[in-house]
Amino acid sequence: MQLDLEKMRDRIKASQWALADIDWDAPGRERVTENPELYAKLKAFMADLMWIEHVGARGFAAMAKKAPNDTLREIYTYFHAEEQRHANAEMALMQRWGMLDGEGLPEPNINIRLVVEWLDAYADEMPLSVLGSVIPMLEITLDGALCKFLLDTVDDPVCHAAFDKINADEARHLGVDFHVLEMLGHGPIYRQTLDMAGRLIDPRLLMGILAYLPLLNRMRDNLVELGLKENKLYEAIAKYKRVGGTPGGRRNPWFQLISRQGAWVIDRKNVFYHAPVDALVRLTGKIPPRLLPQIPSWVHELTWKPTA
Amino acid sequence: MTTSPQARRSARPQDSAVLHTYETLIVGAGFAGLGSAIRLRRAGIRDIVILERGNAVGGTWRDNQYPGAACDIPSNLYSYSFAPNPEWSRAYSGSREILSYIGSLVRQYELAPLIRFGQEVIELAFDKASRRWLAKTAAGQTYGARTVVMAQGPLSNARFPDMPGIGCFEGHKIHSARWDHGYDFAGKRVAVIGTGASAIQIIPEMVKQAGFVKVFQRTPGWVLPRPDYGTPDWMRALFRRAPAAQSALRQVLYGAHESMATGLIWRTPASGLLEQVARLHLRSQVQDDWMRRQLTPDHRIGCKRVLVSNDYYPSLQQPNAKLITWPIATLSPRGIRTVEGVEHQADCIVFATGFDVSKTGTPFPVHGLGGRLLSEEWQRGAQAYRSVSVAGYPNLFFTFGPNSGPGHNSALVYLESQIDYIVQGVRLVIERDLKWLDVHEGAQQRYNAAIQRRLAGTNWNSGCKSWYLTGDGFNGTMYPGFATQYRLQMRRLPQRDYSLVR
Repeated sequence: MQLDLEKMRDRIKASQWALADIDWDAPGRERVTENPELYAKLKAFMADLMWIEHVGARGFAAMAKKAPNDTLREIYTYFHAEEQRHANAEMALMQRWGMLDGEGLPEPNINIRLVVEWLDAYADEMPLSVLGSVIPMLEITLDGALCKFLLDTVDDPVCHAAFDKINADEARHLGVDFHVLEMLGHGPIYRQTLDMAGRLIDPRLLMGILAYLPLLNRMRDNLVELGLKENKLYEAIAKYKRVGGTPGGRRNPWFQLISRQGAWVIDRKNVFYHAPVDALVRLTGKIPPRLLPQIPSWVHELTWKPTA
Repeated sequence: MTTSPQARRSARPQDSAVLHTYETLIVGAGFAGLGSAIRLRRAGIRDIVILERGNAVGGTWRDNQYPGAACDIPSNLYSYSFAPNPEWSRAYSGSREILSYIGSLVRQYELAPLIRFGQEVIELAFDKASRRWLAKTAAGQTYGARTVVMAQGPLSNARFPDMPGIGCFEGHKIHSARWDHGYDFAGKRVAVIGTGASAIQIIPEMVKQAGFVKVFQRTPGWVLPRPDYGTPDWMRALFRRAPAAQSALRQVLYGAHESMATGLIWRTPASGLLEQVARLHLRSQVQDDWMRRQLTPDHRIGCKRVLVSNDYYPSLQQPNAKLITWPIATLSPRGIRTVEGVEHQADCIVFATGFDVSKTGTPFPVHGLGGRLLSEEWQRGAQAYRSVSVAGYPNLFFTFGPNSGPGHNSALVYLESQIDYIVQGVRLVIERDLKWLDVHEGAQQRYNAAIQRRLAGTNWNSGCKSWYLTGDGFNGTMYPGFATQYRLQMRRLPQRDYSLVR
């Protein structure tokens, strides 16, 4: 997937929107608030979704530091802010639906929390090859699948209006994501593989993998708990392999590794993968919150208010 | 030519037949213009006119009177060596004090009679037949002169940036270089756009005065601590009685700044050291990890202008201040919309977004020999010979011309050596009654090829965007070397590189 990054940057700049462009008080909120069953499910779901966007935002912030040229750096700077905008818009929907308790932020689940911690501590030190390969996976599976579910389930017009805008942004994000994935596959395979082997013994990256693996399984469990078909998630994971599997993308060993892992996630019968990862999910669930470090200050930038 | 200078000057200059031809015409009454006039007069050039578009002297320092405005270079170095001022109140003086120093130059050297205020030059053309330059002004007058000193200033044109929605903002807009002293900031929500040299001086003052200040940053710069202090009385007394002591201090400051060149202009271990000093400065003043990340530059030190401040970082952390690093999407009637989707409402936006640096020409058309147009020749980047002369534009001398900018030392040191060089040129023309003095095209090309070769290895050309470079990345702004090197090359005007036409 080759694209002209400069044109893309101009298109991104020309497609900006703000929370104030949406009438958050327009009629239709009762379609969620007066459906108790949906309401309860949606509250936890929206919190997860919002946090996933926030994770994506932090990932892009790290990628902006690694960008090989000014145009890509600028694009990632915009994507960082746009992911934040999505999180803000989702928080505004929660506010509309009365799901925010006072001024406080919704709590993330423990696995998201661990990923946030890891990102904050190490993402800036990770090379573009790692970040540029894993961020599309997160965007396509979590972001993509979760949004799709939301739009299938909720018929509040304001929610649809917001997600029309969010999805248009995400389409551009994926365009750039897969362009970079392809770009990362350039260069001799042996060198890329050696580089990856070197990275894989970096304890910081290993910690990241330990934070990342249970996140996918946790999200799967959450979706099942919400009465969702996990297939939606699996379709999205398969899409990563399909769209990213260009000649260049396939040469990128990180793509190979991540899409292989995606296949393991989809294959519920693969006990060699799921038994330990599910154990990790349970284990992380037992971490007492007081042991976690203080939330990084960038988290407090989230807001549902269109004006400040 | 028997009429007195007074009578000649009062002749109506519109009629070119009776137009008086000055020995030298100087465009601009800022530091450069006044300094040139002083030195020219001392060298015996008496018939001088200074055209000033404003109604006061001081140029940049007259225009930049925003709260907190000060010079980044110690005053003992940011002043003329031939006109020391023992009374500087601080190591780094504020703009008012610098402006009053400029005013004192006018009084001390009796320059007032030379200055024509309200005369904005709109065109300058060399008239081969009468071998003189003709300057047209917006006021409809024409001035003729044998020689011209361009002292219009590189940072004299301020404008609002080309930002989407800038026309629709309904609040108050202020540009740092055109400060609105009548606006009361008390209790107001103020947005400051930009975090460059002007902004970091304005922001601490705004935080003191305004209700709430939001600072919109695009690219953070390296900030070094500023060793500022109030001048003790004994020091002033000493400088008054023993001027040698003051010039000794000037030499020490000069040497200290020269040594910074090794780190700021080229990538050397000293650059790493300076970056480390800046990082420590940041670490000691900002506790929050994320904010430190936001304020840590990605470019190497020296690539953009290095900032000096002790109160910028602390001011950003005041309860009524906030640093915003989200890109600006658009201005709206009520404020600034950033890409994270939030409209940051403001009563007033302060644009500390810099100046139109003339990289491709001068602020008005300059026609040389055969009607050639300077802006056309400089379209792809400005170039001159030793920053002062341009081939095809005889008897015309630039101050702060192409590749004369320092990144580490006082601009006035550079200016002084330009002026002394210009004085040699003007004297040649006047004393030998030359038709013209014009630099050889070849000499200019050789000089610039060497300059560009040397620039390639500097921090300015290391990949960041800055006002030093044109859109194509051409550096026609900075001088790649020590101030001492620059002074040496400016010491003598080499006649072999010029055609002297009688």
